[in-house]
Amino acid sequence: MSTRHVLLGLLAAGPCHGYDLKRQYDARFPQARPLAYGQVYTTLQRLVRDGLAAVDGTDSDGGPERTLYRSTDEGSRELALWTDQITAPAPFVTNEIFAKVVVSILVAAAGAPTGPDGRKPDAAAHLRAQRAAHMERMRELTALKTAPGADLSTVLSADYALAHLDADVRWMTTTTARIDTLTAEVNAA
Amino acid sequence: MSTREPRPSPESSALISAHGLRKSYGRTEALRGASLELREGEILAVAGASGSGKSTLLHCLSGIVRPDEGVVTYGGEQLGLLPEGRLGELRRSDFGVVFQFGQLIPELTALDNVAMPLLLAGMRRGPAQQQAGEWLERFGVRGQAELRPGEMSGGQSQRVTLARALVTGPRVVFADEPTGALDTLAGEQVMTALVHTARESATAVLLITHDAQVAAYADREVVMSDGVLRSGSDDVVGQEAARREG
Amino acid sequence: MKADIRIAWILARGSERREWWRASLTLIGALLATGSALAAVTVAAVSGQVSLPYAHGLLDRPGERAGVVFTLVLLLVPVLGFLGQCARIGAVHRYRRMAGLRLAGASPGQVRRIAAAESAIACLAGSSAGLALFLGLLALTGHTPRPVAWAGLVAVVVAVPVAAALVSALALRHVVASPLEYARRTVPSAGRRAALGFLIAATSIALSALLLLFPVGRRVTPPVLLVLALVLLTGAGAIWVAGASSAFIGRTLTRRARRPAVLIAASRLAHDPWAAARTHAALLLVTVVAVGFVGVRAVLLDTLTDSARPMSLAFYTTGIDLAGSAVLVALAISTCALAVGTAESLATRRRGLAAQAAAGVPHRVLAEAVLLETALPLAPALLLAGLGGTVVYVGYAMIVVTASVPLLPLLVPVAVLVLCLLAAATSLPLLRRAVNPAELRFT
Repeated sequence: MSTRHVLLGLLAAGPCHGYDLKRQYDARFPQARPLAYGQVYTTLQRLVRDGLAAVDGTDSDGGPERTLYRSTDEGSRELALWTDQITAPAPFVTNEIFAKVVVSILVAAAGAPTGPDGRKPDAAAHLRAQRAAHMERMRELTALKTAPGADLSTVLSADYALAHLDADVRWMTTTTARIDTLTAEVNAA
Repeated sequence: MSTREPRPSPESSALISAHGLRKSYGRTEALRGASLELREGEILAVAGASGSGKSTLLHCLSGIVRPDEGVVTYGGEQLGLLPEGRLGELRRSDFGVVFQFGQLIPELTALDNVAMPLLLAGMRRGPAQQQAGEWLERFGVRGQAELRPGEMSGGQSQRVTLARALVTGPRVVFADEPTGALDTLAGEQVMTALVHTARESATAVLLITHDAQVAAYADREVVMSDGVLRSGSDDVVGQEAARREG
Repeated sequence: MKADIRIAWILARGSERREWWRASLTLIGALLATGSALAAVTVAAVSGQVSLPYAHGLLDRPGERAGVVFTLVLLLVPVLGFLGQCARIGAVHRYRRMAGLRLAGASPGQVRRIAAAESAIACLAGSSAGLALFLGLLALTGHTPRPVAWAGLVAVVVAVPVAAALVSALALRHVVASPLEYARRTVPSAGRRAALGFLIAATSIALSALLLLFPVGRRVTPPVLLVLALVLLTGAGAIWVAGASSAFIGRTLTRRARRPAVLIAASRLAHDPWAAARTHAALLLVTVVAVGFVGVRAVLLDTLTDSARPMSLAFYTTGIDLAGSAVLVALAISTCALAVGTAESLATRRRGLAAQAAAGVPHRVLAEAVLLETALPLAPALLLAGLGGTVVYVGYAMIVVTASVPLLPLLVPVAVLVLCLLAAATSLPLLRRAVNPAELRFT
């Protein structure tokens, strides 16, 4: 899961302290590995270095824990690009898709500026597009395994990938059905 | 074996097209303005949750049911304008249907079941049974020819149903959850047989399924939700590919 | 017991349309049975010589009255056939429901009681309605039966539902014993058993009618016994022929058939040959009687006109016509039973028929198959029934020593066949409704 983009997404709602960001991250992605403080600050520093985030001020105490960070215009554009991007269909991509869905909702709630082609981030549309990409890959794999003369190892590996992609598709279908509830929950948190 | 040569498929010829279909059963609105196009020789998957109106769509497209509103066109003719007799004739000669549950006559053997459409078309019993036997052979169920549907496994009877649907060399096969009652391997056998034969004879297939792995056998997919169809966004995938390269 | 009746009532209230058909038709059958039995009891209760202003004095003398009672009791046979067909309606669902109750924890006795309550309720309604109508008729005619007769009337009204309860408990004993089998699969064809059961019941009714005609002490006239035995034997033979010919014709035509409708009909006959026997049992018995009756009537009228006693001619003619109307009523009831049976068979196969129509089988072919399925086993069976009846009246003609043997009765089996086809055709609208694509939705 791309940590830097998730942090950028969390910053979309407004400037945040580093420790606040970690707290939010853990709360929104309970199944993921908890983010270490060190990782948060390293990522934030890199974001600042790349111009995607900026320091918004420091509290009187000083020190890294008390630094406020905010997202820049450049950062918003990068975020829009990332959320829009289709994840390459391969086994175990669900976390990434989930991250994009959640971040899309956050960005939309924060009324962030539109992406490069003037489209607002739309979680449901993203899921549909992701599903289409998954189906395309599944079609390729199916054609591969049903080709005349396909050997058993090809069939088996294709089956493995198909089963996991199928799991992703199932998850995406139910998530699409639940998208309204999810939006309310994400925005309430 | 097939009495038809594979037909050439010009790029954008729609074999069946439907516009703005609406159909209600009592107070339930099954279709709310569904439109789609099925091209010659194409295998199209219609995915969606149960209750989204997929089966009703299939029934409207194959002439089994007349929609309340909207037009279904097959090969240039509007199905809604055809008399019931002609529709039945179409379903016998041009369309093949495969449903999830038994459509085989339980008292007839597999061989006679597959021969039935040919008998209805006026063929004599002997040649009809012979041709039926060849089709059973193609789907690997020749050994079950003398068995009745109740004496076969689910996968076998679905393959017999498939043979029956394809025996008259139809231009379109409508399959409604053909593997719904089968386990993975049996389902795979049925789908492989269907797709293989369809490609060989350039038969178009409209495949209704809620299973992504079954839908993956098709050339493209449309998603149905709440009585309306959404395309599987082939265009989005194309755009994405372009963006990655750019 | 109250809980069981309550459960039966809940089941009845929540049931689908088919159950209402079954209940209504059972009610009508019970009504007919009760009416016939009540009339028999009332007429039997009249003792000695009386002068009643009905039926041209037919009810005046004990001898003729016994004949009337005999006829009324024999009418119970076709009514029984009708009730048997009604019991088939929704039999599959019924068995499955009972099996479900057993699997949910009901004890065998409970399930038997619930099932008995279900059938008894409909029959009680029917017999009460029959009683009400009969009492109305009595009030109109101003005839008051003796107190003994009243006891008999009440006994009849109670006996009908009780008999229904017993029979349904008997019929369900397999389901009660092994519910798991019945929970999933269709009812096994018990055609042969049912036909046999019907024959036994018909024989019992005939014997008890005979006892009424010749009470203990009087000697049974050999000809009557002979005729009765002949009718029953020929009837049994015809029923057997219906089943055997179904099997034979079914098997042969399944191999040889060229036309799709014939193939479909033949395969169904071969699959379940004794279903035809069960459906047509009552009708075949009635045909034997009808053929014999038409022949005897013709011979009798010939003899009477020859002897030329015009005054008593009316007496005899009335008696004959009354008997004739009884035969017609029996024929009508049996034909209705056949219509019910055909309709029930179509209703059970609704989903399969809808799938066939969806796959492109023309309605014409399906309709033809339905008619063929009725006609094919009936033709040889009716032939045998006609033969039996012919023996009866030819024998009578020989006893009376007439030269001319009427040939008109030979047309009766043909007329019955036509009638049966018409009865089967009444269920064709149901076929049109059955192939409704909405049936395809319940996968």
